Amino acid sequence: MATGPLRFRTPHIDELPATQSRQAPGFAWVAVSGAQNDPSKSWGTTNRKRARASVGGQTDQQREALSARQQREVERRIRDLNSDNSKDVVIELPRKPGTASAVKAGKTTNTKKILASGKNFAHYLDDEEAEIARTGRREGEGEALPQPQRASKTPLARRKTREDSSMSISPAPSSNSMGPPPLPRGVNGSAGASMQDDNAEEDDDYSFGMPSEADIEALLSLPPLTYSQARAAPPPPTVPPRRRFCETCGYWGRVKCMKCGTMTCSVACKDVHDLDRCLKMYA
Amino acid sequence: MARPKSVSSAPISGDLADKTLVLDNGAHTIKAGLAVGHAENEPSLHDCHVIPNVIARSQRDKRTYIGPEYSECLDFGELAYKRPVEKGFIVNWEGEKAIWERSFFDKNAAVLQCVPEETNLILTEAPNSPTALQRHADEMVFEEFGFAGYYRTIAPTLNAYAPSPFPSTSISAPGIPVECLLVVDAGHSHTTITPLYQGRPFQAAIRRLEVGGKTLTNQMKELISRTFDVHREDHIVGEIKEDVCFVSQDFNRDLEKVWKGGRYDPREIDASVVVDYVLPDYETIKRGFARPHDPKANLRNIMLGIGTEGGRREHVLTIGNERFVVPELLFRPSDIGMQQDGICGTILQAINALPEVLRQAYLANIVVVGGTSKLPGFVERLEAGLRGMVDVDLVVRVARAGDLVKNVWLGGARMAQNEELVKSLLGILHKARYIET
Repeated sequence: MATGPLRFRTPHIDELPATQSRQAPGFAWVAVSGAQNDPSKSWGTTNRKRARASVGGQTDQQREALSARQQREVERRIRDLNSDNSKDVVIELPRKPGTASAVKAGKTTNTKKILASGKNFAHYLDDEEAEIARTGRREGEGEALPQPQRASKTPLARRKTREDSSMSISPAPSSNSMGPPPLPRGVNGSAGASMQDDNAEEDDDYSFGMPSEADIEALLSLPPLTYSQARAAPPPPTVPPRRRFCETCGYWGRVKCMKCGTMTCSVACKDVHDLDRCLKMYA
Repeated sequence: MARPKSVSSAPISGDLADKTLVLDNGAHTIKAGLAVGHAENEPSLHDCHVIPNVIARSQRDKRTYIGPEYSECLDFGELAYKRPVEKGFIVNWEGEKAIWERSFFDKNAAVLQCVPEETNLILTEAPNSPTALQRHADEMVFEEFGFAGYYRTIAPTLNAYAPSPFPSTSISAPGIPVECLLVVDAGHSHTTITPLYQGRPFQAAIRRLEVGGKTLTNQMKELISRTFDVHREDHIVGEIKEDVCFVSQDFNRDLEKVWKGGRYDPREIDASVVVDYVLPDYETIKRGFARPHDPKANLRNIMLGIGTEGGRREHVLTIGNERFVVPELLFRPSDIGMQQDGICGTILQAINALPEVLRQAYLANIVVVGGTSKLPGFVERLEAGLRGMVDVDLVVRVARAGDLVKNVWLGGARMAQNEELVKSLLGILHKARYIET
């Protein structure tokens, strides 16, 4: 609006040809496509704030960034929920009276190293994944797996440090290249679908009784999955979407805050939210 | 057992220590006890000691409580925690060694006396361990502690040796595993689903849901902190969870019951769900407790000690829908945005990874263990949920183990009584053989 010649805010009116409308003297009803696409509505009178809030970002990039931010937020929260040790607190073990302080604990070099190691579980997990990505097999396993291929398609350089979050989609064991050799009979990823499929044959199969000892032995001697492969897969897409709860009282979330997106259940709870919980000053 | 390196089935000759320390090394508590090889009587749960597996530092009395000393603590307010076991694996061996020494090996050990050189060890770990951690465990057990024999196994397998909780199944002799068992282990860090055949796991079908007791406690902390800040009170919130939480059988109905109503249509709140929880102050109230909700109570007066029993000052929390919203995470992890199926769906994922012929057998032999499954209504909801997800003509049977916390230990102790089995298993990792390799 700032550039260009001065424009008067007088709309130019002309009669549009409309197929659906009944001919009436003087004017015709037409279908208006919406605020964004209609140039006659965007003469400085648009509420840009509202337009942005209604679709969650003006452009595709903005919308993507917004959802990525929410995703990160959720991941961080889950990590916090699953964390155990107190943060920012270093607990020193009191020394035993007999031991000299200079001597490291441990009897052999191996155990000295283990005892002094300050690694946490996420480090070990990263180590193992890197090992698999590099050699195609786990430490201590005899031969390489059939297809030595990286577990993740993300290039190593761009891969984020994995902090053991459950947001990363769990690989369905049969589809993953790092997985064990596929099981002999019907292994399906999705629970609901395969159960229904199988039930038709269930009775027939039952008459054959147990599988042979050799089959079971083969299944039992499969190597264990890696830590991230054993993670439960996401539910099938048919389940209802995520439930939202009121941030103030925990009842169903029915109203979304226009500024920050949290849910509340009623006017009373929304007031509490607006007063001192809504952390976003400017939407 | 996950290391095929030194597997040779030849049992070691004769000189087997006849005491076995069965150590179920959980992230929250250690379940430990000695089993004697050829004893006539069955191992009893009295021999199993539950030790907090934690190192806690109190800001108030500036003391560090290690393992068994934790129970001496008089003021659990604002403790800082460090747990040597993360996600079910011993990660911090320095801390774990300190706890084990205070519990078993020291001269004046708090729990039981044990000389490693004359004892075998059965140690449990969580399924799907990184191999580096398994190697560390083996090295520590032999090189640092020097146990005579050692068998490391994933914890759920030992449940096959415990007495079967199904009334129709006869109790097997000690050391003989149940044929088919699907173990649902709802622990502190996560919930694992393990199908067992003759006491051996189908490794490719083990699944893990990353919601455990710790997740629930932390979620409880978040929800209570909406009205009263308890972010630093892990112990108290854990107690609140154990005291008042339950698994709702009909979530929507329960949530409806405790809604306070809108601004102009206040409702009667169902008093059967809402409770008042009196927080401990560690002076007059040593442990918090729940009592029926009193809507007319003036919390400020109560806090000042006006109109209370004996005039003591009480901090009262009103707990309503938190009681069942928190355990609901086990069944709907998507409520916090977690991209995993609930516990029922996870069980079906594990079952579907098995051959079709075996599926019915496992669906009808589900056993629930682990501290989180102590939540009232857990087994009923699990059974109802599974029932609704599978076909009508399949049988679904879910049973609660006799002692949810000590069941793994009991299985391990019964296994240790079968000398032949112990010999063959310990043969896999015997000290002499370890030194050779």
